[in-house]
Amino acid sequence: MATKDELLMNCEEYKQAIAAEPSFDGGAAHLLQCSSCKAFRAEMQALDQEIGKALQISVPKLQIPDLPELESGNVLTMARRRYSTPVWFAMAASVLLAAVIGIRMLGTSVSYPSLAEDVLAHVDHEQYSFRVTDKPVSDSRLARVVPADVAQMNHTAGLITYAQSCVINGHNVPHLVIQGRRGPVTILLMPDEEISAAIPLNGENINGVILPVGAGSIAIIGVRDERLEEIEKSVVNSVMWST
Amino acid sequence: MNSSSTALERRRRFDELVGVFHQDMYRYAAWLSRDRSVAEDVVQEALLRAWKSLDALRDIGAAKHWLLTIVRRENARYFERRRLETVDVHNLTPSQEALLAETPDDNLDNMREAIYELSDDYREPLVLQVLMGYSTGEIAGLMGLKQGAVLTRLHRARLKLRDSMQDDVV
Repeated sequence: MATKDELLMNCEEYKQAIAAEPSFDGGAAHLLQCSSCKAFRAEMQALDQEIGKALQISVPKLQIPDLPELESGNVLTMARRRYSTPVWFAMAASVLLAAVIGIRMLGTSVSYPSLAEDVLAHVDHEQYSFRVTDKPVSDSRLARVVPADVAQMNHTAGLITYAQSCVINGHNVPHLVIQGRRGPVTILLMPDEEISAAIPLNGENINGVILPVGAGSIAIIGVRDERLEEIEKSVVNSVMWST
Repeated sequence: MNSSSTALERRRRFDELVGVFHQDMYRYAAWLSRDRSVAEDVVQEALLRAWKSLDALRDIGAAKHWLLTIVRRENARYFERRRLETVDVHNLTPSQEALLAETPDDNLDNMREAIYELSDDYREPLVLQVLMGYSTGEIAGLMGLKQGAVLTRLHRARLKLRDSMQDDVV
């Protein structure tokens, strides 16, 4: 049975939908009554076949580059090397150790050193985002980076000065920066990363935590003397997962 | 597990992933950069980066998305370094031409040229949808766009291609 939306679909809407996605199978009721749209659909599907063939270019033989030997199967060693660069962050190896030790002290049998590492590596990678500014990101940018189907977020967390969609552990993660009392504070909304307990991220120049929030988690990282408790509370209260 | 067997296991995992997704990585890079040589460089850099951060990939189901994201970033880095100018389809280097000269089929050649001439904004979502099988939601996630914007770009891309092909017939 045709839905109300399908019956209401006009030619323009139908053609837009088909041109955007030739496999679109909605609008069946409209299609029955409209020969023009039926022809357009056939045209788009034929075009897509041609596009598909054209895109299938030949691929040269795989040549794997010289892969560096990584020190004996632990990521902590890699991370130490990475953070030894003289960036402002100057994160010590103790950051990761603190994360691991923190988990052990909490007595959980599950450890998440990789998540802590991913978070820190990502923050290090995008250190240019970590700056003091009073220029907020636009609402439209924030809406793009924090789509409604991922999370609902209001503005009570603070002045949001950076918003970027990033990938952590293969998942899209909204990466935000708000302005705290002592400096910028990075926030990573990770709806797919469920943790059983908070993971502290204490380093020489940073103060942070990954908090369990529902079926996901939120990383909050500020400068060393930032008072994160208030920020943690307002961030957690301002975010609601959509899934 | 000792360190050498851990290293072997890591390498085996890497080889498996690359074996499965190498073609996708290359084609994505080629259509992003519109240059076979650049695509090879980008894939080499992406493989290196993937190797270094393999431990970050804990969900094997997300491997393709993870690798394509790395390719996308490496491609952006490449163009940041080189600051390549806009490509004129009538004045191509040999490795750019190589992307178009695939098969002795006029129709496909024309289609490749039309895709080649699409702007990045239109070409990339089309490649992700048609070649990689991405949903519009997944494309939106990868490109940092709203789903509506992706639909609009795909719609416009196809109409441009249709018009180009009709022009060629005329």
